[in-house]
Amino acid sequence: MVEIITNSVEETENLAQKIAYNLKGQEVIAFFGGLGMGKTAFTRGLAYALESKDDVSSPTFAIVNEYSGKYNIYHFDMYRINTWEDLYSTGFFDFIGQGVIVIEWSENIENALPENTIRINIEKLTDNSRKFKIEGDVKL
Amino acid sequence: MIILAIDTTAITASVSLFDGDKIIGEFFTNTGLTHSQTVMPMLESLLKNAQIDINDVDAFAVNVGPGSFTGLRIGVACVKGLAMALNKPCIPVSTLECIAYNGMDFDGILCSVMDARCGQVYNALFKIENGKLLRLCDDRAITIEQLKSELENTNEKIYLLGDGAFVSKKILTDAKYIVPSVQNTYQKASSTAICAYNNQNFTDAEKLMPLYLRLPQAQRELNNKLNNKNNGG
Repeated sequence: MVEIITNSVEETENLAQKIAYNLKGQEVIAFFGGLGMGKTAFTRGLAYALESKDDVSSPTFAIVNEYSGKYNIYHFDMYRINTWEDLYSTGFFDFIGQGVIVIEWSENIENALPENTIRINIEKLTDNSRKFKIEGDVKL
Repeated sequence: MIILAIDTTAITASVSLFDGDKIIGEFFTNTGLTHSQTVMPMLESLLKNAQIDINDVDAFAVNVGPGSFTGLRIGVACVKGLAMALNKPCIPVSTLECIAYNGMDFDGILCSVMDARCGQVYNALFKIENGKLLRLCDDRAITIEQLKSELENTNEKIYLLGDGAFVSKKILTDAKYIVPSVQNTYQKASSTAICAYNNQNFTDAEKLMPLYLRLPQAQRELNNKLNNKNNGG
């Protein structure tokens, strides 16, 4: 596990970019931590580093956003996913292995996460600073 | 009778034309899940190269399930649209039955398996008797472990067929479980067509529906916290 502290939105985006450069294109990245933690900022940095020109936003209503780039990125929000049937009907299982999967509110589907999932726990230290605890096979 | 068949139920996609005696043509890809973008061009190309006009197709066959949520909807929507526009009948086929056709020449139990993720498979068991496919159980979703204990006392050879063959073999390690060579592994539309031809189970485009199988994960909560609540935590 690695622990990294960022002190601004920009630093969060930069952290994501560093991680993105070493991705192979089939990873599942699962966020844990509540609202306003910087999950979307992180995903924006990730998408930027993967050469995507698409706008990154939280897929609260769509449940999944797709960004095209060096690898496709599937950005999920599991906030409203409560059952296995819900999860199946998001197409989640169809997307595994097809690109980089980024998941917000992973708490809701924790038991469906693949074994080699990169887990990122975000903790709020002050208004601007965040502590990222990253578990899994990532290179910085 | 010319049957046009489509399979988009899992990682592979294929389209095929069958006339009752011979497979006129088949187009198969195993290049990832982009079926919504590839299946119609594949179909167009197949018809063109087989020199068959789509109006000469007598029935449209499709694997309606089980399978991936998105995949089933692509295949069914595709066939539904074609059949509706051309006013032709549809023939729904169980993906697992289609898969069993890959093992028509094998002596033993034909174990159709599709990867349903999280250690689970969609499964049905078949056998060949007097050259005909005999179904031994209904289509179902079970864990590979359950399948293992069910087949524990079987002494026959068991052929693992379908997109779930490789993931199943990791747990079904006994020598009696055989993954056949790769040309007989995945579901393919020519089998869908032959299966449809044999069953002649016609339906209207309006009535064609995907058949999702319920996953049996009730035993395991999706959310750890919910699980703790249920345990009185």
